[in-house]
Amino acid sequence: MNFWLELVIKTVLVLFLVVLPVALVVIFGELKISAHIQSRIGPYFAGGRFGWAQPLADGAKFIQKEDLIPAGADSSVFRFAPYVVLMGTFATFVVIPFGPDLAAEKLDVGIFFLLAVSSLSTLGVLMAGWSSANKYSLIGGLRAAAQLIAYELPLVLAAVAVVIQAGTLSLSGIVEAQANMEIFGLGIHLPYVLTGQILSFIIFTIAALAELSRIPFDMPIAESELTMGYLTEYSGLRFTMFFLGEYAAMISLAAVASTLFLGGYYLPGLDTDALKVAGPFILLGKTLILCFVFIWMRWSWPRLREDQLQSLAWKWLIPLALANIVVISIFKVVL
Amino acid sequence: MTDVDARAAMHLSDASVSVELETQGMTLNIGPQHPSTHGVLRLVAKVEGERVTSVQPVIGYMHRGYEKLSEVRTYAQITALVNRIDWVSGFANEIPWIRAVEKLMEIEVPERAQWIRLILSEMTRISSHLLFMSSYPLELGAATPLMYALREREYVMDLIESVTGGRFHPNFNRVGGVKPVAGGGSTQKKVSQDLPAGFFQGTREAMDRVDSVMDELDELVTGNEMIRARTIGVGVIPPEKAIEFGLSGPNARASGVDFDLRRDGEPYLPYDQVDFDVITEQTGDSFARYLVRKEEIRQAVRIVRQAIDTIKPGPLQAKVPRVLKVPKGQAYVRTENPKGEMGFYLISEGGRIPYRVKIRSASFCNLSILPWVLEGALVPDLVAIMGSLDFVLGDVDR
Amino acid sequence: MTDSPPDGDAVDDAADAVEAELEESGFAAELAALVAAPLWVDEFDTIRLYVARENWVDALRLARDEAGLTFFAWLSAVDWSTEVAVGEEVAEPDELIDRYEVVCRLSSVTSPRGAHFFTEVPKDDPVIDSVVSLFGGAEWHEREAAEMFGITFVGHPYPLKLYLPDSFQGFPLRKSYPLLSREVKPWPGTVDVESMPEAGGPSTANVEAGDTGGDE
Repeated sequence: MNFWLELVIKTVLVLFLVVLPVALVVIFGELKISAHIQSRIGPYFAGGRFGWAQPLADGAKFIQKEDLIPAGADSSVFRFAPYVVLMGTFATFVVIPFGPDLAAEKLDVGIFFLLAVSSLSTLGVLMAGWSSANKYSLIGGLRAAAQLIAYELPLVLAAVAVVIQAGTLSLSGIVEAQANMEIFGLGIHLPYVLTGQILSFIIFTIAALAELSRIPFDMPIAESELTMGYLTEYSGLRFTMFFLGEYAAMISLAAVASTLFLGGYYLPGLDTDALKVAGPFILLGKTLILCFVFIWMRWSWPRLREDQLQSLAWKWLIPLALANIVVISIFKVVL
Repeated sequence: MTDVDARAAMHLSDASVSVELETQGMTLNIGPQHPSTHGVLRLVAKVEGERVTSVQPVIGYMHRGYEKLSEVRTYAQITALVNRIDWVSGFANEIPWIRAVEKLMEIEVPERAQWIRLILSEMTRISSHLLFMSSYPLELGAATPLMYALREREYVMDLIESVTGGRFHPNFNRVGGVKPVAGGGSTQKKVSQDLPAGFFQGTREAMDRVDSVMDELDELVTGNEMIRARTIGVGVIPPEKAIEFGLSGPNARASGVDFDLRRDGEPYLPYDQVDFDVITEQTGDSFARYLVRKEEIRQAVRIVRQAIDTIKPGPLQAKVPRVLKVPKGQAYVRTENPKGEMGFYLISEGGRIPYRVKIRSASFCNLSILPWVLEGALVPDLVAIMGSLDFVLGDVDR
Repeated sequence: MTDSPPDGDAVDDAADAVEAELEESGFAAELAALVAAPLWVDEFDTIRLYVARENWVDALRLARDEAGLTFFAWLSAVDWSTEVAVGEEVAEPDELIDRYEVVCRLSSVTSPRGAHFFTEVPKDDPVIDSVVSLFGGAEWHEREAAEMFGITFVGHPYPLKLYLPDSFQGFPLRKSYPLLSREVKPWPGTVDVESMPEAGGPSTANVEAGDTGGDE
């Protein structure tokens, strides 16, 4: 079959089989987990006692809302912005390996492609903030631009450390390297987070939270100050796309973190055939654990101010990430 | 209530096309509908990037004209009006008003009524400060303390309701004491309004709960690095400025002004018979204001516990004439409300209704320092500072 | 006590009162001497000092700097009128001189002392100096007094309305300003008073307006 057609079909499959259901699960998880952290119950009625249909109900509600475009908005940019954000997010799922041969497209420059494409979302956020003809949105968009660009660097540098240790840019290759990684000849295969990449893991997670604009880094949205920041003027289906895009990005970054640091689809003790079946679920499990940590942090902590956020990135994370790279390289050469 | 500048700001924010970023700065309209302005407050802020160059608060959206209304209401009716000024601490608003009337009539309030007033005042203080504890972290982004603090506040509100019948507008004070009976017309049975059965036990439990939630909130909020980073050094008000602007209550005490009307002012309730500390901090920033209110909750719990051990049976209201006529005179009574110093200046000409009532509300003076303290602040700090001043628009607008 | 500048008997009474009170609260007398207030009253735990309009700013400055009254509590005005559109008239309308009184309260933060400074402002010339130069907090209070009473504060940096919309006409807290609800429904008199809690007997709705009932 034509290469491009095959790719499109595989991508669409990944999106509908993996991203959408998992996004709904994560949304539901956020509602319930946040409720229990706040000693509430959470969704209760939609779909029976556990309220599992709440995300679906919310989705249906949003879809049938009026589609408002402010009179002074730059309407073509306004309309296009959510799609740009989504494109950046969905494209990352092309290279994530769900099993030994189960990636939509096994690219040799996997992680490079992923990080490059995921920064398209920044453009979408800027477009949304600018075109809304609303001062709050503009401020939100500016904050988002500064924040997302600032935190790209620690994200990339942390990934570089992993690449150095694994010796390959391909995501499947990184998982293989963790599968083959032996520590002190003991015959135990440990994920990278435990074999020298703990600092990279921490930096990556913090930068991922900032890329997602989640508390403690949600200055661009900053609900109590800017009433939703760059999202203020969006309603109905467009808002749903941003909303879905945020959770898809969370899953994407959590999956990437699991792949880079936690071993991806690999679990010690399983051979390749078992991994072909169980791999996706293992990766899913690790992703959901990370998502739980993200949700937990969001509801426990306040938000950092813009200048504190920036100084965290430029004065702390980037130097640390660079130092980390140096250390990892030395170990790679020496050991 | 606005000037040409503010009107221009209104137009600019409605403007459809002219969203260009003026290099001299942008005029941003915050409010009157906004998640964090404690009510209908409008701030016309000139910002340059993230820095605020000047702020003009626009108030009056909730002005109900209490001072004019007081000129056509009897003294009992004004008691019902008055607890709507600072609606978060309803009972506490009635006390200075009733005391002013009692002063002019030279009425002595029975002991039990004084103690009931004290207990309810301190419970109102707990309730108001717990609301602060829940809304302030929310404005900084932490969503969870809201639920914890409000949960315990419900217990206190239930107690207030069991005694007075109202959560926010108790209308429980009467001239000469507290409400002695309800009902008792030609068709109704008289029901005593004394403290209900189970009140003391319920109070002890509620105070224990408040103590334990304060411990939880201490861990969750006070020690949190990010909260500290957002509030320490933010919005510093030196004590001289605080005094000059009439800042009172926790706001002044956080700047080092060691003055509490319960201990240092004219006595209006038996606070000299209970043991409590007056909390002051020296730094005068938002974190200090937060700390003062947090500790005041604990002190209020202490006072309530002592009060329910000290209160003795007795009459609830002194003998007052059926038709209240207050003799001619002028009196001012001020009390330590949760928001600060609240006072009523009452000019009576000897009739059934007052001649002039001047209401000195704490939040009005607390808010008037906002243009001074916000000059040069960052936009996120604006929210942090406003939240730490803990004002209520009903108090500001009267 | 006295609402107008003292005449014959009133001065004697006031002097007796002064004698009696000087033993108790020396503070009020001292303060009156300090700010050169020709008249002062101390009753119901409330100290009132009446200063002349020309001395207004100086009196407040002296009180702040030398008497320790640094805390600016509030500033407002009182409208003394013989004819009122709302509410009841004064007790002795024949003795009343129509005027505004601007009142400012200053208190101390180290002791429970406080004093109210009154000054008379005639109705045909409602102008007085602003004290914003002394107390920053006076800015809002003076704006409110200006819009509610129509008094002009000379030297105020932002003489704009505080509560009322720009297009508002009239000065609401003046006694001559009607209350709309009372225009629609006239003052009902005793009917508005709480009815008796005693059993038996009709409610006071049957009592005619003007009947003040039994006073004890």
